[in-house]
Amino acid sequence: MKRFLSALAIAGLAAGLLSGCGASGDSQANRDTIRIGLAAPISGTQAQYGTAFKNGAELAAAQINEAGGIEGKQIEIVIQDDKGDSNEAVNVANKFVTDKSILGVVGHFNSSATLATAPIYNKNKIVQVSPSSSAPAVTNAGEYTFRVITTDAFQADYLADWSKELGYSKVALIYEQSDFGIGLLDVYQQSAAENGFEVVAAEAFNPGDKDFSTVLTKIKEKQPEAIFIGGFYNEAALIAQQAKKLNLDVDFIGVDSLYSEALLDLGKESVEGFKLIGFFYPGGDNAEATRFNEEYQAKYNSKPDTYAAYSYVATSVIIKAIQEQGAEREAIKSYLETLKDYNSATGVISFDENGDVITEPSRLTIKDSKFELYQ
Amino acid sequence: MFLQQLTNGLTIGVIYALIALGYTMVYGILKIVNFAHGDIFMIGSFLGLFFMQEFQLPLYLAFILSAAVTAGIGMLIERFAYRPLRLADRIVPLISALGVSTLLVSLAQKLWGTEMHPFPTAFGSRTYTFGSITFSEIQILILLLSILLMLGLHLFVTRTKTGTAMRATSMSLTNAALMGINTNRMISLAFAIGSSLAACAGMMVGIYYNAVYPTMGYMAGINAFTAAVLGGIGNIPGAMLGGVLLGLVETLGGAYISTQYKSVISFSILIIVLLIRPSGILGSKEINKV
Repeated sequence: MKRFLSALAIAGLAAGLLSGCGASGDSQANRDTIRIGLAAPISGTQAQYGTAFKNGAELAAAQINEAGGIEGKQIEIVIQDDKGDSNEAVNVANKFVTDKSILGVVGHFNSSATLATAPIYNKNKIVQVSPSSSAPAVTNAGEYTFRVITTDAFQADYLADWSKELGYSKVALIYEQSDFGIGLLDVYQQSAAENGFEVVAAEAFNPGDKDFSTVLTKIKEKQPEAIFIGGFYNEAALIAQQAKKLNLDVDFIGVDSLYSEALLDLGKESVEGFKLIGFFYPGGDNAEATRFNEEYQAKYNSKPDTYAAYSYVATSVIIKAIQEQGAEREAIKSYLETLKDYNSATGVISFDENGDVITEPSRLTIKDSKFELYQ
Repeated sequence: MFLQQLTNGLTIGVIYALIALGYTMVYGILKIVNFAHGDIFMIGSFLGLFFMQEFQLPLYLAFILSAAVTAGIGMLIERFAYRPLRLADRIVPLISALGVSTLLVSLAQKLWGTEMHPFPTAFGSRTYTFGSITFSEIQILILLLSILLMLGLHLFVTRTKTGTAMRATSMSLTNAALMGINTNRMISLAFAIGSSLAACAGMMVGIYYNAVYPTMGYMAGINAFTAAVLGGIGNIPGAMLGGVLLGLVETLGGAYISTQYKSVISFSILIIVLLIRPSGILGSKEINKV
């Protein structure tokens, strides 16, 4: 009896394992759908960004599908979970490149994952468009690697110039201990020096940290006029709240990683007056952004954040490439290389010779628990 | 700044202590590390949020209910993930624990979504300032409640019959059974108490930081486990001491040395203590009588 049960269990396990093998090889059967890959952290500590990616990409596909697809073929978004981990990302990349029906990949989320997988995509000549990897190193990651987000170098530099305009002479930095945060730190410090104001403190935190009391108490001693939060909106909300609890009254500034309804929900009054630069701002001059905002809310019943918007744009440019030049991997790449002045939800974008995007940010602030253009 | 950092460190420290108690009690009896405990802390936090949002329950009721339900979940986990493996090699329940951990996180993500949720209460948000220290009402609550709970636990294990039976079980499973103690019940009780303490910690953390999310158990679990080992795993006062000590070391180390190396400092202290006293600060050597 025991042996029979264990034989049954082994058979079941084997069947489960092998069922995964069949899917990737049959490119012939899938010629009637257009398959675009999406590599994102669907599970793990960054799962919420994966969800934003998924929603943005699927909305882009759904809109085209409802209008009849591309030459009658429906677009299918094939999602693979990279768990926000570079090793897992490599597995995902390998799965995508060996599946001949995948025409292009939207991904990954983390700069580390994008950098780890770029060699694979480039070697196999399949386009990857990252919605969010902003580390400077991605510029030279390969000719098949594109991104619709500007580099941290650009954003931090722009923010430093704006800091100077706002008249700050002492700024403190709270940054995430990751390629992202450290990248922001380096560029901002350099730019601050060029602009002639002082970075009085630079304190680190680990992604997922909740307690900033140590960091904020230390910063309070230095009496800065503003704090630049080099991290994502969750931590930013917590930092703002805890600063208020410690009676630390400063301005808060940041880059587009702060743009999300979650910042307003979590931070409430403590994030009032935040100043940030953003590329996605519905309700401003960008008609595409406003349209995307409405359609996203209609479909998902929640407001999109920056990452949903970027993912939507990344998917849209691949779809546009397929519409203009056909459903071939190489055709997509050659189209994207020459893409100029594309009106998207995150601004008018053009790719430069490195696959980086050239676009101008908006200056935003939080007023009455809403994001507004900074006047 | 020192007094302020001291306050910060103490607040984190007692929370670590509460969670560490769960680790230490389970290890004391079963000699296994319940790696899913950090996620039980997270579930407790989510349940508290759930009871307050869906049923509009007042805070104290949500506390009690969340603690009760989480205790139940803890006992269920013991019953289905650890008890069948009691006779297996020690590494097997460890792997089972990792599985439970993944299950709990994915469950939370499925039920409540992957984002961070704010905790819907204005309780404890008032702040008081004395000279150079600023602290909020919720910090006082955390300190008082934690101390109360730890005192309660200490009295329970030392003064009551059931508590003594639990201690006997942790000394030797087989001999306690020979003495007529229902060891399975003692083990379930240990899980129940540990889990309800973790749930209380979870709710307090949820309120204090105003943030509840599915992966919050990961760091908390690692830190609490470190605290338990630091104080002597298997030793209840040890867990309390370890928790407070870790909180203070982490905060003061971050404040005076570097926030970049906060984790490095905490874990280096752990290594140094273990090198000098391998069984932890208050731990006692496991005597193998032949």
